[in-house]
Amino acid sequence: MTCALSIGKGTDLYITLTPDGQATGYNGHVDLGTGIEIALAQIVAEELDLPLSAVAIRLGNTAETPNQGPTIASETIQVAARPLRLAAAQARSWLVTQAALRLDAPAPEIETRDGACHWSGQSLPYAALLQNHAERLELDEDQPVKDPALYRVVGQPAGRRDLEAKLRGEHEFIQDVRIPGMIHGHVIRPPYAGRDSGDFIGRSLAGYDESSVRHMPGFLGIHREADFLAVLARTAPEARAIAEALKVDWHLPPPLPWMDEIVETLKDQPSTPRLLVESGDIETGLAEAETRLDRRYVWPWHLHGSIGPSCAVADWNEGTPVVWSGTQNPHMLRGDLAVLVGLPDEQIEIRRHQAAGCYGRNCADDVAGDALLLSRACGRPVRVQLTRAQETLWEPKGAAQLMEIRGGTKAGDLHAYDFASWYPSNRGPNLALLLTGRISPEPRPDTMGDRTAVPPYRIPNARIVAHDMAPIVRASWLRGVSALPNTFAHESYMDELAHEAGEDPVAFRLRQMDDPRQAELVKKTAEDAGWQAQSGPRLRREGRMAYGQGFAFATYVHGPFPGVAAASAAWVVDVAVDCETGEVTLSRVFVGQDQGLVINPDGVRQQIHGNVIQTASRVLAEEVSFDEIRVSDQSFADYPITTFPQLPEVQTMVVARPGDPPLGVGESAAVPAAAAIANAIFDATGVRMREVPFTPEKMRAAMGVSSAPEAPALPAPDRRPLKAKLVAGAIGLMGLAGLGAVSLPLARAIAPVVPSVSASAEELARGQMLFAAGNCASCHTAPGGAPNAGGKPIETPFGTVYSTNLTPDPETGLGRWSFPAFARAMRKGISRDGRNLYPAFPYTSFAGMEEADLKALYAYLQNLDPVFAKTPEAQMQVPRPAMAAWNLLTPRATATVADPAQDALWNRGRYLVETVGHCSACHSPRNALGAEDPRQALRGATIRDWFAPALAGPEAGARGWDVDSLTTYLATGTAPGLSAASGPMAEVIAGTSQLPGDDLRAMATYLASLAEGTAAPSAPAMQPLPDRIHRLYESACASCHEPAFDGMVSAAQVPLSQAPALRAPGPETARTVIREGLRAPDGTALRDMPGFAAELSDSDIAALARYLRARYAPELSEWD
Amino acid sequence: MVQDELELTLNGRAVTCRVPEGLSLLDLLREDLGLNGPKYGCGLAQCGACTVLVDGAPARACVLRARKVAGRAVTTLEGLADPETGALHPLQQAFLSREGAQCGYCLNGMIMSARALLDRIPDPTEDEIRAALRHNLCRCGAHLEIVASVREAARLMREDGGAA
Repeated sequence: MTCALSIGKGTDLYITLTPDGQATGYNGHVDLGTGIEIALAQIVAEELDLPLSAVAIRLGNTAETPNQGPTIASETIQVAARPLRLAAAQARSWLVTQAALRLDAPAPEIETRDGACHWSGQSLPYAALLQNHAERLELDEDQPVKDPALYRVVGQPAGRRDLEAKLRGEHEFIQDVRIPGMIHGHVIRPPYAGRDSGDFIGRSLAGYDESSVRHMPGFLGIHREADFLAVLARTAPEARAIAEALKVDWHLPPPLPWMDEIVETLKDQPSTPRLLVESGDIETGLAEAETRLDRRYVWPWHLHGSIGPSCAVADWNEGTPVVWSGTQNPHMLRGDLAVLVGLPDEQIEIRRHQAAGCYGRNCADDVAGDALLLSRACGRPVRVQLTRAQETLWEPKGAAQLMEIRGGTKAGDLHAYDFASWYPSNRGPNLALLLTGRISPEPRPDTMGDRTAVPPYRIPNARIVAHDMAPIVRASWLRGVSALPNTFAHESYMDELAHEAGEDPVAFRLRQMDDPRQAELVKKTAEDAGWQAQSGPRLRREGRMAYGQGFAFATYVHGPFPGVAAASAAWVVDVAVDCETGEVTLSRVFVGQDQGLVINPDGVRQQIHGNVIQTASRVLAEEVSFDEIRVSDQSFADYPITTFPQLPEVQTMVVARPGDPPLGVGESAAVPAAAAIANAIFDATGVRMREVPFTPEKMRAAMGVSSAPEAPALPAPDRRPLKAKLVAGAIGLMGLAGLGAVSLPLARAIAPVVPSVSASAEELARGQMLFAAGNCASCHTAPGGAPNAGGKPIETPFGTVYSTNLTPDPETGLGRWSFPAFARAMRKGISRDGRNLYPAFPYTSFAGMEEADLKALYAYLQNLDPVFAKTPEAQMQVPRPAMAAWNLLTPRATATVADPAQDALWNRGRYLVETVGHCSACHSPRNALGAEDPRQALRGATIRDWFAPALAGPEAGARGWDVDSLTTYLATGTAPGLSAASGPMAEVIAGTSQLPGDDLRAMATYLASLAEGTAAPSAPAMQPLPDRIHRLYESACASCHEPAFDGMVSAAQVPLSQAPALRAPGPETARTVIREGLRAPDGTALRDMPGFAAELSDSDIAALARYLRARYAPELSEWD
Repeated sequence: MVQDELELTLNGRAVTCRVPEGLSLLDLLREDLGLNGPKYGCGLAQCGACTVLVDGAPARACVLRARKVAGRAVTTLEGLADPETGALHPLQQAFLSREGAQCGYCLNGMIMSARALLDRIPDPTEDEIRAALRHNLCRCGAHLEIVASVREAARLMREDGGAA
């Protein structure tokens, strides 16, 4: 519909009205996930006297909204909404003027209400006034606006507009944008994760090998510009798989400074002091102070931690690109993209979509650069979705910060305050600009460390200095910016001074405050929250718990110094400290807030809640970790955020000031958080926390509570530890090899034949059953290869062998094998051509099979579909002829003689277990020659990093297996409450699950008879002291291993207290499972587990295995 | 890559698709079947944004291979509203009236997990709600509104006689 009236400034448009009487407001800011759209609509509806439903708001699209800067500093309502409000008021004036003409009425007497002008009993709807107009008015900056006393829409709760579509799954988040013809890019980031300055940036990619991925499904291409590297594919999963498989060589980046030592690291970096305030004489003031306190406060690096990693779509569109983005800063992004691809700003259009909650400069802009580079390269629309790890590693962090204060009181009042702050952060140059070398990777200091650097108190002698410095790792604005750490320092220090003075901290603050509005908020918050006056730590204890209350206050001042004040907020927080574990629990947070006029009370309350919960999480638990080179956290596993059980009760008190202008509320309630909590901890325990986060470990250390000493960091675990252990065995076998070569004849070949393939249906069925019982398909099928055609690599302590082709292909399979040749291979491990087979093929077990069974199996194999597939050559340290000697030294299964003392079922079971089932191949320990040890048959063994638990003896008995549970297990892979098959055993279950019930019961009967003793109840899980590895378990493992719901389909099937991997003699299996995960065979009810090799360091995996052993198998010896 | 035909029931409708061996259920739903309800957040079952129901039980679709749901009934956020009238499920109504979201990216997981909770415990206490959602992450801090929404949904469902 064409516009009847539009109001703007120059080329910027703020409001349009269409002839149907509907209004649309335009704002260059965006919705970061707060529902700001409805508040803006309320402002327009109010000034225009339109029903809220007649107002639409357009946010952030560069083609239609004005450039109002980035959506930062809680400015949308306070600053960016101003022209919108003026324009709406101006539109109303215009409508009134039109009505006055039409009604021949004096304009001041015309009332506007519900989208119509009313005068003297007559009404004219806006629609009627707008017909046949096409007016464009310049915004009148002096336009009078409505008296807030007359507000009807502003100040009332109004429901969010985007919520219903989100609830139906119909809202188009940026991650949901799909463009016709779109393909998918997946970026491959350099190894210097999270870094943005230094000569190596943009110069570290040595090369990549396209041939390593060109054959993969969906492959469309690779694109490189300096250190920018990405693959293109048809679908997103294909793109990701290709990117992960691509062989890439990077130069090793130089090390980072020692990031754990924030104080030294920040002070060692170049910085420029900037004097913000100087009043009185600081040195004299300090000298005059009767109580002197010099203090240092430290803030860590934090993540934004948006739940959805960033995503963008770009369409090069023949040089007039359109970019779909979740950016916080559409116009700033457009400028960056213009530099990136060398186009004028106006030629690029940004279409802004909502993303997952945005709390500052995350990767949203970076990924838009990625997508645009790729679309330009291939000429098609390209979508790029970052992974969780990419977002976490590369997002510009909330910067660490150091605050130092020298100061003191005189006559009980604040007398001198010398404050200095170091804040290594800037505006986050677009990553694509850096990686491609479009901008130089020089350190870029900025000036954002000065936010709320001045405390809200009367200070006779003050010096306030911000040390401007470049980031050390990418760092930019995150909710509360530098104001949050600065206030942590100011408000902790005020508490420390009050304590020194023996005065109540609220009363002490009030005496130093000049601003009555701030003082009123402090007083009212303390009163309404039930503040308990204190003149020192009260140390209230009940058992192991200590209870305390803390207060803090801040007026959040943002923008370039001296800045603009947003809403003020005060906290009263009640904490409980567990004096044994060091855990701090917030039981209640009371927030009083003064934001002037409230536009939407629901929105204000939700912002307070969000600020409290998010900031409490940052203060109590969060800090980014680094290794020598880069950021090391990759997911919520090593960077846990708060969860529902930790929620405090939150109470809010919003001061009603409808006559004052509305102030931003997006961050204010966060700002007092850290100091209030630290002050409450002090009241509870007498311990003063000056370094965020207040983790249980830090609390224990501060309180002098002894914790179990941390185990020393382990060297990276050997991926194949068994290899090293068995070197001695291998050497012994090599010795034998020499002997064998001299004195032992090799077997003769058996002539090739064209085998008869006739067999009865009964015989074929029997063969099929044996084939399943022997789990032949699992070893004889290569990953992704044709069934039973061999080629699967099998690693042994002596090298790698490849399974053979079992199909009746004449050239590469068993197609020329006679039955005697087959029987000889099964019993003696000798191939048709006379060569010895390596005992990865369990012929020592198969030797005991009955002739009739071998015939049935042979017939079954000869009736498979032939597949041409050559078996790769084995890569072994032992020559094949040596196996002849090995064979002489190795006993064979002799299960064919029935034990008359046992019944037929048991004997059948023994036969299946000991011959075709070859259970001993994994479950029996092997001797130095790699042969099964008959004295230890089925007593449990570790094989290829997997632990095969004992099936015989007291260990088996203690686990509580019986015939029924064993039968169920062999049939399904799970025995409820006892075990779920994983790893190689899951493959075995894929075979046994096809066996007839009688045979399963027979195997179970025999296996149950091997167990000795009675079931021992498993020891209760040990409750560990909370530390980093405990948190890692809780955030990475517990969702599946202690799921919130019984029957969760993706969760582990048995509790960890039953996991064989945790009951193995050594940690190898547990580490392997954590590292590589589990892949359960299709067609079974067994489940997968994701691997964590890419997410967790080797030392964390080793520590996690140790933690799990100690927690879930406390009765067994601890692992190293 | 070996591909097989996979049959499942998705939000009450029979679906057949070709699925590569390693494809996650989340990728199948989002990339192949074009759904937007389940969200990618972490890919490691840490955040819960991808939660769907499989035969009524919750599952993290990011770590569940599509082939593992062969023959089973998958319900996503899109399948909660009344298929005939489009009327919102009581959980959706409650999250709307109590504004149980800020950005709403985690909303899918909260609602699908809450659905599983209310199926098992029709009148949960606040502690039971918190425990049921303990592995669902929200970064905006909408937790209090989410808990209130679940309580409201429980009330609505009781008033409906548990019909939903």
